[in-house]
Amino acid sequence: MPELRIEDLTKRFKGEAVLDGVSLTVEDGETLTLFGPSGAGKTVLLRCIAGAVDPEDGRILIGGEDMQDVAPEHRGIGMAFQNFALFPHMTAFDNIASPLTAQRRSRDAVREGVERVAKLLKIDHVLSHAPRALSNGQKQRTALARALAASPGLLLLDDPLRNVDAKLRFEMRLELPRLLADQGATVIYVTQDYKEAMALGDRIAVLSDGKIAQVGTPEEIYRRPASIEIARLFGDPTINLLDVVPEKDGAGVFARLSNQRVPLHGGLEAAVGRDCVLGLRPEALRFSANEDGIPVMIEAETPFNEKTVTLVVTARGREILISRPAGTPAPASGAAQIAADATDALLFDRATQARIVPDRDGGSTSEAAA
Amino acid sequence: MSEAKLQLEAVDKIYNAGGARQVHAVRSLDMTVAPGEIVALLGSSGCGKTSTLRMIAGFEEATRGSIRLDGREIHRLAPAKRNVAMAFEGYSLYPPLTVRENIAFALKSSSLSKTAVAERVGEMAHMLEIEDVLDRYPSSISGGQQQRASLGRALIRDAGLYLLDEPMGQLEPQLRALLRGRIKFYIKERGLTAILVTHDQTEANALADRIAVMEDGVLQQFDSPAHLKDRPANLFTGTFIGEPPMNVFEAEVRADSGRLRFGLSGGVVLDYAEEEFSEALRRTLAQKLRVTLGVRPHAVRLAAEGAPAEVTANQWLGDQTHIAARFAGGSIVTVEHHHAPYAKGETIGVVLGSADLHVFDSQTGAAISHGGALA
Amino acid sequence: MDHMSPIERWLRGIALTVVVLFFMFPIFWIVLMSLQTNETILRSPPSMVFEPTFGNYVAIIAGRLDSNVASMGIAFMDNLWNSILLSVGSVAVALLLGVPAAYAFARHKFRGSEEVAFTLLSFRFAPPLLVLLPLSLYFQQIGLANTYLGLIWVYQLICLPLILWIVRGYFEDISPDLEHAYRIAGHSWLSTFRRIALPLAGPGIAAAGLLAFIFAWNNFIFALVLASADKQPVTVGALAFVTASGIQYGQIAAAIVLSIAPTLALALYAQRYLVEGLSLGAVKG
Repeated sequence: MPELRIEDLTKRFKGEAVLDGVSLTVEDGETLTLFGPSGAGKTVLLRCIAGAVDPEDGRILIGGEDMQDVAPEHRGIGMAFQNFALFPHMTAFDNIASPLTAQRRSRDAVREGVERVAKLLKIDHVLSHAPRALSNGQKQRTALARALAASPGLLLLDDPLRNVDAKLRFEMRLELPRLLADQGATVIYVTQDYKEAMALGDRIAVLSDGKIAQVGTPEEIYRRPASIEIARLFGDPTINLLDVVPEKDGAGVFARLSNQRVPLHGGLEAAVGRDCVLGLRPEALRFSANEDGIPVMIEAETPFNEKTVTLVVTARGREILISRPAGTPAPASGAAQIAADATDALLFDRATQARIVPDRDGGSTSEAAA
Repeated sequence: MSEAKLQLEAVDKIYNAGGARQVHAVRSLDMTVAPGEIVALLGSSGCGKTSTLRMIAGFEEATRGSIRLDGREIHRLAPAKRNVAMAFEGYSLYPPLTVRENIAFALKSSSLSKTAVAERVGEMAHMLEIEDVLDRYPSSISGGQQQRASLGRALIRDAGLYLLDEPMGQLEPQLRALLRGRIKFYIKERGLTAILVTHDQTEANALADRIAVMEDGVLQQFDSPAHLKDRPANLFTGTFIGEPPMNVFEAEVRADSGRLRFGLSGGVVLDYAEEEFSEALRRTLAQKLRVTLGVRPHAVRLAAEGAPAEVTANQWLGDQTHIAARFAGGSIVTVEHHHAPYAKGETIGVVLGSADLHVFDSQTGAAISHGGALA
Repeated sequence: MDHMSPIERWLRGIALTVVVLFFMFPIFWIVLMSLQTNETILRSPPSMVFEPTFGNYVAIIAGRLDSNVASMGIAFMDNLWNSILLSVGSVAVALLLGVPAAYAFARHKFRGSEEVAFTLLSFRFAPPLLVLLPLSLYFQQIGLANTYLGLIWVYQLICLPLILWIVRGYFEDISPDLEHAYRIAGHSWLSTFRRIALPLAGPGIAAAGLLAFIFAWNNFIFALVLASADKQPVTVGALAFVTASGIQYGQIAAAIVLSIAPTLALALYAQRYLVEGLSLGAVKG
């Protein structure tokens, strides 16, 4: 299975750069999720790789071979589209068979190939249907089957779960990794849903304004986001961001919230006295029974999947979201105290919006274990 | 007795009655909304939730039944007298007006002074984070901003009833949790009554005191979010509510020598002491050969002594982990609130406690029991 | 909303009948006329009661026009044949050239593509005579005057813009993703055009072809100027019925019935196909 290398790719539409010097390597057999808000350039990048859009600048190498003059049909790619793009005048069978017929395989070989992927995706009972007779979930599976049918080395999946309902999306999210692993293909999976990005990607590439903002494992992106923007993109509810100026005393560096200390670990001496933004994930906050917590007023409690999210306001009017597993007890209204699990605190420079990397980065998790 | 704010009685809505393409959109719907309550109509597209909202708003007439607002039949009230504020799914902002004018427009008929109007618009804009686009025109702002402006235009009014049609579907994901909290606080603080229509259970759960789950025009269950989770009335609500969805297994019931056993496919047997189930429930179960079992993912416990299951996916989402495993001839999903270490292919032990077991009738789908007691 | 009382339904039925009668009456009347002799047509007051005769049809098919004063030969069947040849030929050529061109204009935006497409359409704006005068001179010189080839060429002024603009719209409506998907599956652009674009634009191509056929069939002025008697289509040929001894209404009616029959049959056939094509639906999904 090939490795995909993208070097300095640039694409403009009407003078505006949609892709602005994107470089990215997807290793052989790896699943990389390409994540970003809408308009970030994800789909254009995928289309450049597929050959449907020609970049102005830069190179695309699949298995070391420059794709500049290679037509889409010769790139050895499988692709699933967000809107499914099923051929409406062909049956599900013919749709799935289209990559196989292109290789001029025998009729039996085509039938065998279609039935193999159809069974894998549990759509073998609807192969004779036209796309309009399929349910949304079946359409999505047919589109996926078509992309997989010829066992392509490189698989491009353009937000394939976007247009199916929540239940199906969930089911497919758990099923996809096994399917992709069985194929052994190198995969680029485009999504706008950070949960999909984290669940499916060996690594995540965050695309923002046509540039790669960060590439890393889900763990790296979530725990060590490069900037405020990335920290805000991952996590639901969104990370709490509070303006602070770190201070230092005998016990170490800390940030002051409503006159309470939130210790900052890992050696952040460099941040002392600078204008910073403290990032606290909602799950890193909890209600505290002690009187030494940060005093807040509870505004609203909103149940959220298997969690409960509470919106509280500090005396200075700062809004903070706190989440906890559903069913754990907590005050529901009125005054309360909260405390932060400081090992997961993130610190950003207010001017550059970049994360201030502690001297001992990643050490915080081992500290937590100890 | 406190007066109901809104009361629907045996309401039916039939489109194209008698025609070739007759659609029975809402079937004998009964529903009462108390003053100060937030109610969500939840269901997939075509379930009848929007028809219901449109009837309450007075855009459509009920084919049968009665709808009473503050004790008066709604169709007897002139639209201006209904005192209902509505936020539309399609935003429907007035294009020639700026966002500020759009929001202030809702206060035109009130006797507020100019400064008072400006102040209220400012507060609303602050709450919805649209202060920086107040002087722009709807066509030049994003869909999310338009939706927030439309929400603001509805919420700023002093209405007796607020109707919100998919009010947050287009919102930027990063703002959702915060705005949900703020809007709920705003509504609750003022004691407003609101009905929202949504297909997104996260939104319904977060905002509503009670949720009306609809499917095929039929009200499946009208209950608090907690009860919908813990005491689903039937298999439909059981599997519809909850993310990840409920694990469901077909099972054979066997009772002997003080044990109650559920035989699942793949040779898995769930074995419980008889006392964990009430006697009435045991009598009911004795008459059933097959039942459908449901267990919420977060109720699945992982322990070495449990029934073996092979991990097929382990997906860490930052604040929780979703684990899927091959179990009982199918698959079982469980949620952990930490970064769970299980690797693909690893065997884990699955424990399903009797207190977390939902039993449904295999034929009708109606709930038989939740935990050890009859539903 | 769609609730209708029996009275409303009744009124709607009447209104529809009136509209249908209004549009169908001329055709109905022509058919009646074609089955009468000139005498019964011209009697006053007109009457629906007469003895039907196929004399007019016999005369036209046999090619002999007998009036009460003289008998002369007419070439109506030849004209009909010319009409078919010219119309079918023009539409075929226009489809062959226009469909690929429409595809190119729909899919490949290049510098000046809009201008080229618009120029092609602008031929339809110019009064035909403006084009005809210089054309007839050129055609004389290069020997294309009074040939089928020359006429079919000129007819492209009618057919080509029509096909180009209608079919282009249909191609634009097909999601490019469908074609990308087929290419990525491993098919060449030519087979993508043939297997995806053409079938999905089929209804549009049929509609454009039908319209072009009708316009070509009804054309009068090009053939009048550029064709001599043996190449004339029915539109020009019908002039022959205006004879020195009077106008042969019965035979004109029969000729009209014969000349509209092909377009009518084609329209009815294509309509069914068009509806089928449109119900294919989900082109974008």
